[in-house]
Amino acid sequence: MSETTEVPTSLGRGGVEVELRSLSRFFKDTAALKSLSMRADPGELVVLLGPSGCGKTTALRMLAGLDAPDEGTILIGGKDVTSLPAAKRNIGMVFQSYSLFPNMTARENVEFGLRVRGQRTKERSDRSSELLGLVGLSSMADRFPHQLSGGQQQRVALARALAIKPQLLLLDEPLSALDAKVRAQLREEIRRIQLELGITTFFVTHDQEEALALADRIAVMHQGRLEQLDTPLAVYSNPATEFVAEFVGTVNRLRGTVVDAETVDVELVGKVAHSYGQALSPGSRVQVLIRPESLGVTPAADEGAEVISRSFLGASTKLSIRNPAGDPIVVEVSVAEAAGVADSAKVRLFARGEALLVRPALP
Amino acid sequence: MATVTPDLQRGGGPGGEGSNVLRLGKPFRYTVLILVGAFFIIPIVASARFSFLGNNNSFSFAAYTQLFGTPQFWSTLWLSVKVGVGTVALTLVLLIPTVIFVHVRLPRLRRVFESVSLLPLVIPSVVVTLGVITSFRNLPNIIYGTPVILALEYVVLALPYSYRTFDSAVQSIDLKTLVDAGQSLGAGWIKLLRFAILPNLRAGLLGASILTFAFCLGEFAVASLLSFTTFPVFLVQVGRLEASQAVALSLIALIFTWIPLALVMIVFSQRRGARRGVGVESAIEAAVAD
Ligand SMILES: Nc1ncnc2c1ncn2[C@@H]1O[C@H](COP(=O)(O)OP(=O)(O)OP(=O)(O)O)[C@@H](O)[C@H]1O
Ligand SMILES: [Mg+2]
Repeated sequence: MSETTEVPTSLGRGGVEVELRSLSRFFKDTAALKSLSMRADPGELVVLLGPSGCGKTTALRMLAGLDAPDEGTILIGGKDVTSLPAAKRNIGMVFQSYSLFPNMTARENVEFGLRVRGQRTKERSDRSSELLGLVGLSSMADRFPHQLSGGQQQRVALARALAIKPQLLLLDEPLSALDAKVRAQLREEIRRIQLELGITTFFVTHDQEEALALADRIAVMHQGRLEQLDTPLAVYSNPATEFVAEFVGTVNRLRGTVVDAETVDVELVGKVAHSYGQALSPGSRVQVLIRPESLGVTPAADEGAEVISRSFLGASTKLSIRNPAGDPIVVEVSVAEAAGVADSAKVRLFARGEALLVRPALP
Repeated sequence: MATVTPDLQRGGGPGGEGSNVLRLGKPFRYTVLILVGAFFIIPIVASARFSFLGNNNSFSFAAYTQLFGTPQFWSTLWLSVKVGVGTVALTLVLLIPTVIFVHVRLPRLRRVFESVSLLPLVIPSVVVTLGVITSFRNLPNIIYGTPVILALEYVVLALPYSYRTFDSAVQSIDLKTLVDAGQSLGAGWIKLLRFAILPNLRAGLLGASILTFAFCLGEFAVASLLSFTTFPVFLVQVGRLEASQAVALSLIALIFTWIPLALVMIVFSQRRGARRGVGVESAIEAAVAD
């Protein structure tokens, strides 16, 4: 993908392909990244998702050129940029903390990248007007950062990052300092703008809901490694590892026995399908990972699991259940189904979906 | 002098709020203010009265007119100002890159650098003086035999004030993020500093400069040790001969330090005020709009 590719809109430049090849980065005693490899297609929005300290920021800073890998290669648009300094990469970045220059107005902030590039005043102000319009802040162009709310500051930061027509957009938890409502709203807006410009984007978050809502593909990271890179649906319903299953969404771990390559018999639940047969011989004891919404409940006469509590979620109800051994199980069912069982009543479980993963049982 | 710096720092710096004294109520505050004020003002007023005392307790400008008539008054003052300006310039050239580098690249060594900057307070200035003299002995005469050596001494001796003032100003902005942002927008270090970083550190630069300049205008020991007749040295010489002239002289010295200081502060607080004026109303708008 060459840099000259024009997109229909005048705002952006369209997407480039990005590739990380076995990036490693070591700090004194920790390895922040361990041979991380991934690829983003042109125009794609990849969300880097993972717990705190898993190396998301480190990976992003390397893409930006603000930090250099100890090993590995970074390719942007097919070109090796591993040793190119940040100032020459033409990459737009929005930071977690407020990063606007306090001495400049919103407009001056947006124009900074253009001023540095020696653009003329007229062109600069045209472009900054266009971008402030894009983020809905035309009326606040002459305000200083301290006169803007947190959400507005991050919008300006986005406009500033986009003003230079970056070939790549990097966002490091840009919404984490904002309250829930502004957050959801700005998230939608970022997605709209990103689609409009068709710009390849990496978005870092540790919020799985945000990741599922935004991403073309989610890269789940854990301890400096990539666990899975796939669409939100696949990551959620077909996790590659236990870590992914647990980190994205909620899972139950139930005891079971392998029946055949496609079925397991789960304690309290009965037969459950799982579509990725593994080399587990029939009869072996296993641990079955299953989502709350893949389970259903029916009242039982005397024995079975016991309903401990319920929380109403609007469209559904979440039931906390305890099996006879005392282990907790979470079930998410329709409001009607939940109404069919009383608190402290005995219930039976049944499967309405497939198991996520089947693991050999711990001895 | 030291009371000036905290005021120059923008509010919200570390430790800027929550002072217990401020919560003790108005009467207490005013009492403290008046006591402190009296402590500073009474000696000044007394000296002023003394300096205007002529023969037979009459009012007289004699001390002043005699002073202004002395050529040495002007030459020593000029020397001190020159050394002061040179010291400030040199301090800034050294301080800006160092502090910024430490904050961006070596944040863990910040404490170490700060402690080192305090050394001149611990080491007797005579020792520092000798140290600088020995280190620069081999330099060409332009430096060694001239007041330039004095400026070099003062850069070191004023470091405890200049370093800490500038360092805490840098601390009060998120320098690392601003640098990262600027670089990713394509700015090299020069443009980054010029347009995006230093304008946000104006208060700290100003504070460091004023403290350094004031230090130079008041330093006696090193200058006399190196036998340069700077303004303070002249002041002491006059004091041995003529008491009322010496007092007049120190008042003048005080005024010479205060005038630039007051000017700078007025200019500065006006600029800040102008911005804040816009700020209040539009911050309210922002709150309503959001
Ligand atoms: N400059 C540094 N010096 C030493 N260790 C570092 C440095 N930067 C990062 N690390 C370490 O590298 C690891 C990854 O850090 P990173 O900031 O990339 O995590 P993250 O996934 O962005 O976490 P968070 O969600 O908390 O922002 C952490 O263990 C961190 O302590
Ligand atoms: Mg991070």
